Amino acid sequence: MEQLFNIDFKKISTSSNKEELERKKYFDLFLKTGLPNKKNESWKFSDLNFIISKNFKQIANYDNFKFDKKIELINDFDHNHIILINGVFKSCDIRFEEKEKVKIERLNSLKGISNQSNNNLHNLNQALSLGGFNLEVQKDYKCKKPIIIYNYFTSNLDNKIINNSNQIKLNQNSELILIEYNIGEQCKFLKNTFEKININKGSELKTFTIQKTKSNGYFYKNISGTQDYNSSYQNFILSSGLKFNKIEIDMDLVKENASCYILAGLILGKEEHQEIKTRVNHMATNCKSYQKIKNVLQKDSKGVYQGKIFVKDNAQKTDAYQLSKALILDDRAEFNAKPELEIYADDVKCSHGSTSGSIDDDAIHYLMTRGIELPIAKKLLINGFINEIFEKIPEEKLKIFLEKSIKEQVNGI
Amino acid sequence: MKSEELKNQEYKYGFTTEIENFRAPKGLTEETIRLISKIKKEPKWMLDWRIKAFNRLKALKEPNWQKPKYPKIDYQNLYYYSAPKSMKDKPKSLDEVDPKLIETYNKLGIPLNEQKRLSGVAVDAVFDSVSVATTFKGELDKKGIIFCPISEAIQKHPDLVKKYLGSVIPISDHYFATLNSAVFTDGSFVYIPPNTRCPMELSTYFRINASETGQFERTLIVADKGSYVSYLEGCTAPMRDENQLHAANVELVALDDAEIKYSTVQNWYPGDKNGVGGIYNFVTKRGACRGKNSKISWTQVETGSAITWKYPSCILQGDNSVGEFYSIAITNNHQKADTGTKMLHLGKNTKSKIISKGISAGKADNTYRGLVDISANAKNSRNYTQCDSLLMGNKCGAHTIPYIKNKNSSSTVEHEATTSKINEDQLFYCNQRGLNQEEAVSLIVNGFCKEVLQQLPMEFAVEAQKLVSISLEGSVG
Repeated sequence: MEQLFNIDFKKISTSSNKEELERKKYFDLFLKTGLPNKKNESWKFSDLNFIISKNFKQIANYDNFKFDKKIELINDFDHNHIILINGVFKSCDIRFEEKEKVKIERLNSLKGISNQSNNNLHNLNQALSLGGFNLEVQKDYKCKKPIIIYNYFTSNLDNKIINNSNQIKLNQNSELILIEYNIGEQCKFLKNTFEKININKGSELKTFTIQKTKSNGYFYKNISGTQDYNSSYQNFILSSGLKFNKIEIDMDLVKENASCYILAGLILGKEEHQEIKTRVNHMATNCKSYQKIKNVLQKDSKGVYQGKIFVKDNAQKTDAYQLSKALILDDRAEFNAKPELEIYADDVKCSHGSTSGSIDDDAIHYLMTRGIELPIAKKLLINGFINEIFEKIPEEKLKIFLEKSIKEQVNGI
Repeated sequence: MKSEELKNQEYKYGFTTEIENFRAPKGLTEETIRLISKIKKEPKWMLDWRIKAFNRLKALKEPNWQKPKYPKIDYQNLYYYSAPKSMKDKPKSLDEVDPKLIETYNKLGIPLNEQKRLSGVAVDAVFDSVSVATTFKGELDKKGIIFCPISEAIQKHPDLVKKYLGSVIPISDHYFATLNSAVFTDGSFVYIPPNTRCPMELSTYFRINASETGQFERTLIVADKGSYVSYLEGCTAPMRDENQLHAANVELVALDDAEIKYSTVQNWYPGDKNGVGGIYNFVTKRGACRGKNSKISWTQVETGSAITWKYPSCILQGDNSVGEFYSIAITNNHQKADTGTKMLHLGKNTKSKIISKGISAGKADNTYRGLVDISANAKNSRNYTQCDSLLMGNKCGAHTIPYIKNKNSSSTVEHEATTSKINEDQLFYCNQRGLNQEEAVSLIVNGFCKEVLQQLPMEFAVEAQKLVSISLEGSVG
């Protein structure tokens, strides 16, 4: 592990000696066990150590933040934006919102982001994080337009590692739509992100993750958060196109009537590997959670879903559902699932379903009898298969934009 | 359904037969293994096999990933061989069998004497570690079916044993399986010759009797081409306060067009209301569908034991082979179960079906853990899994941990799971018809389990239905 990582702490501008020592302490802790491998239950289907060792000879940390290129903004719908260059906060523009209601700043403090002592990537993140953004929406403020995070990755990132962390806080009765839009050049690099979400009473957060271009990135993102009374969290994952991507979501539903939706639609191309791992903790009564993970797998791709619903003994009247569906288009593709239930309360409705297989022959036959050619029929069905997850999005323009991006991906099959 | 009102039904089969035991000295050593082998008059190859397993065991670690945790077992403080002394010279007929033993079996309701003709069951009863007697031998002999204690098979049919023993569960397998390979004392051996349908259900009743004796059974069933056999395994154990380890190995081999149906009703001592005592049931059961069109079906009703930890599995090697797993696991009071199955699809057009019903009451924890693995070569394979859990009260837990792997575009895997409590409407309906709460719950639970109960042979189905009700008695208030 020490040979693989060539880390220079001088590249990180630290505010104090104490901080530098702290970082080094975390890095030593990380080196002790290194990158997680398949012996670790949460990495059972995605052996990160193997994947990284196979693809990287040496990994260095990153220090060049010069950037003067203009980022092409999305013009399909009005939006505010934040620009992150290689994971570091660059600028923001919230022209559609009341300035004092939405606070966005560079995140400096590393402390208190998350407490995950058993996750070694957290140690790595603590050692090397260069900050990300801190976003806070004030009480009773409903954002008028979505905020898009343009996550830009430059062309000089080969064999580099990026560590950053973000914090999102929604105060009472606020609303926000947040879209993470990844744009990158053809570089082979590693990204390790930790994100902390705090959704207060009556608030609603919708997040989207979209990968614009195919990328050689190896991404890990850990999202952990808490939800208060009557809050709602919806996470849509459309991150196809990365060489490796693992998104880990750990949400605590601590007060009554909270609801948590996690929906993913992935179309994985050649040699792509993506994992979605979730843990939804029902800790109060009357909470609802819903997970729907859809994968379309092309040659040599691997899709993984590890989901867990945890219901504490006092969380009566819980309604929780997990569904993972995979379309396997090629014999070399693989789909692994582990939809897990851990339930300690009796008056609950918890269920999960998981299916994997090829495209339904009857459906193909039906379309072909209607004069639709085989390749088009297939694309039509795949499109329908993925689009299902957007059905409930009320924002029309955003929905059209998402559907367009899925269509582009399907046409690429 | 108030869990505070839980009562525990006294363990029906809690009695001990006082028979002088012959015991090997305590401790897991090479000497113990040599002694077991010597007592069993085993040939050298068998002893070598055991020693090989023992050496392998030294390098293995006890697994600890399971959900129910248990206090560390001191393997050096266990007896590995214990046999009723009066059994040292095998009886030639039933009359010679120690009357106390016969009495024990009668209490258990094993049809060893007159009853055997009525029930049509051939029983190979294992009392601790030595097989007492085997009935219905003549009829089976006529068909060329071998049904005998495995110790006898090692002497009389060494070729068959050598060929198949350890071929499904190799000695290099996990800790408990390897432990069994090193110290197993007895068990059953079944061989069904080609194109033979076994005319009756074969059955073994086990009883763990001597205290502090881990019982290490070894069962091997081979169904040759085109044959069929149905095997029943049922267990009851006397009341004890110490935890007793039971680490059995069961191997099934089905060749071309053969079918094996293996049914288990397990009702070992679950410990008392406070979770003291009870059996540790750490069993390795694995079947190989080696031939084309072969089929292995596991059915289990698990109501006993303090901890049940087992995964009866099917390795579907032959093309068109079928694996089935039907399970009911009931846990009450402090019982814990971590059970399920593994279906490994290797051949083309292989099919598997998993139906699991878990019921938890009291402070129990019930886990379904299963694996469905479809390899790249298993074209057109199919799996269907359904696991349903029923919870009674909020002090118990129900967990589902399925592992699903699909590496094939022509195969379909489906998995469904639900967790809920007993429907209030159904209860109300039953109450209205004059059933009291307990009867109503029993009826509904039996209905919930019906899919699995149906799979059991007649002799077991009746007993199992009663067991389901008895196990939950007192769990509703």
